[in-house]
Amino acid sequence: MPERFVPVINYNTCRVCKRCVNECSYQALDFKDGKVVPAGGCVACGRCISVCPASSMEIRTVPSQFPPHGNWTERIRRGIYAQAGSGGVLLSSCGTDGDHPVIFDDLLLDAAQVTNPSIDPLREPVETVTLLGGRPGKVDVSENGVMRLEGGEKPIVVMDMPLMIGHISLGSVSYNTQKSFFMAAKELNIIAGSGEGGLHPDFYQYADHICTEIASGRFGINPEYLKKAAAVEIKIGQGAKPGHGGHLPGEKVTPLISQTRMIPLGTDALSPYPHHDIYSIEDLAQLISVTKEAVEYNKPVGVKIAAVHNVAAIASGVVRAGADFITIDGFKGGTGSSMRVIRDHAGLPIEVAVAVVDKRLTDEGLRNRVTVCAGGGVRCSADMIKVLALGADVAMVSTAPMVALGCRVCQQCHRGLCSWGIATQREDLMQRLDPEVGAQRVVRLFSAWNEELKEVMGAMGIDSVESLVGNRDRLRYQGPNPKIAEIMGVKHIGEGWG
Amino acid sequence: MGSDEGLWGSVHLHIRASSRLSGLYAAKAFMIWRKLWCPLHLSDAQRLRARKSCGAMDISNKGPIGRLTSKDTKQTDDRGFSDQSLNGLRDYPLGSVRYVATRPPGLSYQMGGCGIAALISLDGRPVAGDKIRSMLTIMEERENGLGAGYACYGLFPKNREDYCMQFFFDDEDAKAKVESLLGEHMSIMRDEKVFTRKVKTLRPPYPIVWRYFCQPRRSKEAVGGMDPGEEDHVVNLVMHINDQVDGAMCISSGKDMAVFKGNGYSYEIAEFYDLPRYSGTLWTSHSRFPTNSPAWWAGAHPLSLIDWSVCHNGEITSYGVNRKMVEMAGYRCTVMTDTEVVVYMWDLLVRRHKLPISAAAFAMAPWTYKEIELMDPESRRLAMWLRFTYREAFLNGPFSILVARGQPVPTLIALADRKKLRPLLVGQSEDNRLAYCASEECAIRMVDETARTWQTNAGSPFVAQVGKGILRDGSEHPFKVVRE
Repeated sequence: MPERFVPVINYNTCRVCKRCVNECSYQALDFKDGKVVPAGGCVACGRCISVCPASSMEIRTVPSQFPPHGNWTERIRRGIYAQAGSGGVLLSSCGTDGDHPVIFDDLLLDAAQVTNPSIDPLREPVETVTLLGGRPGKVDVSENGVMRLEGGEKPIVVMDMPLMIGHISLGSVSYNTQKSFFMAAKELNIIAGSGEGGLHPDFYQYADHICTEIASGRFGINPEYLKKAAAVEIKIGQGAKPGHGGHLPGEKVTPLISQTRMIPLGTDALSPYPHHDIYSIEDLAQLISVTKEAVEYNKPVGVKIAAVHNVAAIASGVVRAGADFITIDGFKGGTGSSMRVIRDHAGLPIEVAVAVVDKRLTDEGLRNRVTVCAGGGVRCSADMIKVLALGADVAMVSTAPMVALGCRVCQQCHRGLCSWGIATQREDLMQRLDPEVGAQRVVRLFSAWNEELKEVMGAMGIDSVESLVGNRDRLRYQGPNPKIAEIMGVKHIGEGWG
Repeated sequence: MGSDEGLWGSVHLHIRASSRLSGLYAAKAFMIWRKLWCPLHLSDAQRLRARKSCGAMDISNKGPIGRLTSKDTKQTDDRGFSDQSLNGLRDYPLGSVRYVATRPPGLSYQMGGCGIAALISLDGRPVAGDKIRSMLTIMEERENGLGAGYACYGLFPKNREDYCMQFFFDDEDAKAKVESLLGEHMSIMRDEKVFTRKVKTLRPPYPIVWRYFCQPRRSKEAVGGMDPGEEDHVVNLVMHINDQVDGAMCISSGKDMAVFKGNGYSYEIAEFYDLPRYSGTLWTSHSRFPTNSPAWWAGAHPLSLIDWSVCHNGEITSYGVNRKMVEMAGYRCTVMTDTEVVVYMWDLLVRRHKLPISAAAFAMAPWTYKEIELMDPESRRLAMWLRFTYREAFLNGPFSILVARGQPVPTLIALADRKKLRPLLVGQSEDNRLAYCASEECAIRMVDETARTWQTNAGSPFVAQVGKGILRDGSEHPFKVVRE
């Protein structure tokens, strides 16, 4: 098969230090006859470029070696050759790389002019504090000289930003990666997901900022894992592979992973596709009850579902089943390993999913009983702002903080050879990521996003994020398909307020 | 017609009073060309004193003026503006449609600036309608002739226990439809045409304005064996009529109260209904400066539902969120304004969820989380849960609102947003018989030269009750019960 990428070395400036050869975990560089030469298999992870002290390295995309054809694309043909050779399903990682429309980019934000003042977040308070948990719908207040809250409180998590780092399991990523995320979450006062790989004992110190996950594989679940966390989430599905369970290739199951997940060394960790105690909605309601019992009603218990075509009705069922919060993971969500056919072809874009869920929950009078988290394709602060305006209380992001750690989105996570030390379990590679540095980069990224959120809200004349959530009046659609706008409940550009 | 005075005024400073926000001063100073059309029974000297106490100064007297029609002789002020340029907004193209009880097509939101004024009799002695008219009409820059209105409480002593349902009808057909619906769900004690008269400057069509005094007739079958309670019965009926019956809008439906509103200047509407013929213990009023809405009688403020009425100067930037909340609770938005949502929200939070007034006000204009952290632990818990539970009730953006509630005792609430982005002033007469609220000081000075005036704090409600006095002056801790 022809190569897709090729490293090109400028021999005039190369100092022959061989750092690139040592750093390339994909062994795409070799040292022959006194010089560095390409050895094939380059995935364009860019590690060699970043370590070259002489800036002598460049990666070029090889022009297609296939006769051009508009229907039988190179991608399709490569897939056939691979499957004809192996007889297996095609695996891939990260979110879908297909050329799908990005609805986020078809949405424009509003701003205030004349009839109401915009707010300057550098001079006046603009709040981004976000509360996660079940909502009572009503407050009882007693009046007896002083007003008092009557009755019990539900558990809530108070976060400083409407952001959470999504569920990225120990196993899919390295110990250092998780540590970076947890440290960042603590410093930012937000939540990071543990993923479904259990929680390493070293990370219990960050448990106040971790949402642990109960997935169908039930890896690493013990009472402590549930009780110490800030919140607990039952994972039904994942946006990158709706209808499938987690998939951790055996190459990544090292002693550390086998201990944390409580599984044998070197075996594939395949979570069952359904939970084998949940075959219907009432079974989910039972698991939610059991989980609430296990955490003694001190932690919010939520449910994560993948965005599928009937997501609105499913979400409504999940809320009625007793979930305190619901997480919706969109079609473009990332993954450490997924079948390409599912990743590229199944699900619903988060923009539409969150809008229809928000609308359905409102129509059924349930929206004020639950916190909605949404992610799967949120790439930047603009996407975050739009997903909030479409109806999410919290934007869930996972790929972006990994990119902050150095990830080049080369889509090779499932091979466990990540040259940046992120999606790998190899000790030598993992050490390339310093958790202290990684945490700082994530903190800076999210702080910047939050600042941009405040600036945009201020421009809209909104001084607290809860007034942005579900405020679709402040969005307009400028894309090719007005039907999408209609479904999302967003007006078209050029339509005013009335 | 009265006389016209041209006045150069330098208007007083509005200081954004907020003990809690970083000390910001919003200073507005305008040079004003005032044309005072004066329907008031006040001497020129009295009017002048009201102006002077706000720093305005008389410089000249101009001849009589008709404010709106283009056939008037063209007058030019010292800056070269003609009356037509000031009143051009009223010059609809020939044949343009003006709406009375039918919702203008495509209307989904109304915005703009406004003037608000209210007065409440603290000792329970009724006050005639010319006083509130004087308060409202003086604030001329705050309206452009596209809507004004008044709400009056305590004005039907003979029918105190009956729901007074007041309607705009486009035609007799709509009236007949509504009457058959009313007959089905209510017992009509008495009905009458609301007194209206032609106003030279108000262009037709005029609505048929009719009121019905009725008692709910709650048949078990009609509600599937479930009794929603008297108020909800009326609420459901009003929502149904406004949503379903073409050419009819119920503009007020409370006991012992009524709303008088329409599409015109504040003084035109007062003349249209002959306001001085009414007396009540609590008056609120509103004049509009909309930027985008077509002429629509039913869209004017106060907007009202059972014993609530709201006059609102503001633009709610969280409208889409707030609307979701009231729709979740079963209200149907038929007027399509943010103000309508505010009415339903007060009804939901105070009547249905039984929140104390200041707790409801806190939900709508909450303290920041940083400020909440400084509260005592019990208050902090309550504040957190109010914010979390009622996040959709948070009215974001600039507003000052006057909320009146008729039951059990007529109550006036005045509230400004938590950044105090729109003006709100409160006053009390020297003899403590009356309390006032208004956008501008001149409105209070107009009727009471010696009143004590003060500003409420941002997000802190002023609350007064007929016969009880002022319960909250707008400076208190939100969760301290000041006076029962």
